[in-house]
Amino acid sequence: MNLTFIKRFITTSIGRKALMAVSGLALGGFMLVHLAENLLLFKGEAAYNAWVDLLLSNPVTPFLEVGLLALFIAHIITGVWVRVEDFINAPRGYEARKWQGGRTIGSATMLYTAAAILGYLAYHLLTFRFVDHSMGFYQMVTAAFRSPVFVTVYIAGAVALALHLSHGMQSAFQTLGVNHPKYTPLIKTGGLLVAVAMTGFALISLYYLLNIDLKAAEAGYQVVVIR
Amino acid sequence: MTSSKHFSVTVRVWRQAGPAEPGKMVSYRVKDISPDMSFLEMLDILNDELIKKGETPIAFESDCREGICGSCGLVVNGDVHGPDEHSTVCQLHMRRFRDGDVITVEPWRVKAFPVLKDLVVDRSALDRMIAAGGFISVNTGAAPEANSIPVEKDKAEEAMDAAACIGCGACVAACPNGAAMLFTGAKISQLALLPQGGPERSARALNMVAAMDKQGFGNCTNEYECEAVCPKEVKVANIARMNREFLLANLLSKK
Repeated sequence: MNLTFIKRFITTSIGRKALMAVSGLALGGFMLVHLAENLLLFKGEAAYNAWVDLLLSNPVTPFLEVGLLALFIAHIITGVWVRVEDFINAPRGYEARKWQGGRTIGSATMLYTAAAILGYLAYHLLTFRFVDHSMGFYQMVTAAFRSPVFVTVYIAGAVALALHLSHGMQSAFQTLGVNHPKYTPLIKTGGLLVAVAMTGFALISLYYLLNIDLKAAEAGYQVVVIR
Repeated sequence: MTSSKHFSVTVRVWRQAGPAEPGKMVSYRVKDISPDMSFLEMLDILNDELIKKGETPIAFESDCREGICGSCGLVVNGDVHGPDEHSTVCQLHMRRFRDGDVITVEPWRVKAFPVLKDLVVDRSALDRMIAAGGFISVNTGAAPEANSIPVEKDKAEEAMDAAACIGCGACVAACPNGAAMLFTGAKISQLALLPQGGPERSARALNMVAAMDKQGFGNCTNEYECEAVCPKEVKVANIARMNREFLLANLLSKK
């Protein structure tokens, strides 16, 4: 049995990057689905909880969860491996160094936004996944979104995610060899749109945070809106 | 039409006696520079002065001095190949500078290109990648009739654009990661696009990437600084083609 091709995916520079790209694209796709799920919050408690129940009662879901975990682990391992090698081999010692306009904020901060996303993910799992769900999912989520601390973490996480994807989405296509005069401009625009969509996670949480202020206003408190 | 506005600059140059010696930046005053001089001519004048004083002249590489050989390559004030866009440093002229300017001159600071002396680096890592597959194997003999193998016009143009790479190493020097993928991508592309490169396509992609990984270059993170400095405007589409060639060869070839 010749398994050299699997070995090459792990041991070569381009093979590892391809694994990082495929797992990254899949995770980006998951984030879009997850955002669509979150939008169900606006449909009300019954609709949101019905979806969560459907998801949790499906016997395939635990397997999907393991698959998702595998994608994260693959993306993190390949990403860290690539960047460690880059750190070792990077040109060093220039007295003066000017960037020529190839880099973007997104591309230059990939490692930092990656770390921020990992922190955000850990916080997200600790507050939503590994907690008591007896109060109901809709109640749990909307209650959390009324906490300024929680929403601040969410905004920071969503911004990091948007920055990460602003480079990551189009970069993944280039890594997989897709660069075409017709399609690359579409891919770049599409990647940016997906990145911008990630701010949706922050906007949804902000919506609930601001709602509490409106309710407070109804209760007779004076709310000063700074524009 | 000669300019009489001769001027003086201070050049801060990396001096390093040998590969194992420690190096440092040394400042020299260069007087009576004509704006019409090339940057390398200015270094020639400085070297003449150093020789007259009995000092060791600054070692730097150059050959054609018309931007097509790939020998020269310096980082000038932080710009790879100097401040002019898509140009080699031999094409840089002193009219880009003003009287009293301090000009920082450094070699490529790439791990895979060790400094041999002063501004000269050893770029043989690039040659080792070519030796691993950047060629076609054909029987020698009389040149075949040029029109016997038709080539699509667009493909020929693309192959020519990739073949414009002069192997100067600027892409590696400019890359935040020290990756050589624009070079390797160009060398794989120029043959992958042409019928003559077809028979060895898979082996070439696998072998050249393996050789690239051995030289101590970084990985590409698609920051495209390489494309921004390439004197021959080689496009990152060539890196995508290399990725494609490599991934397909890995999945579809029998090796």
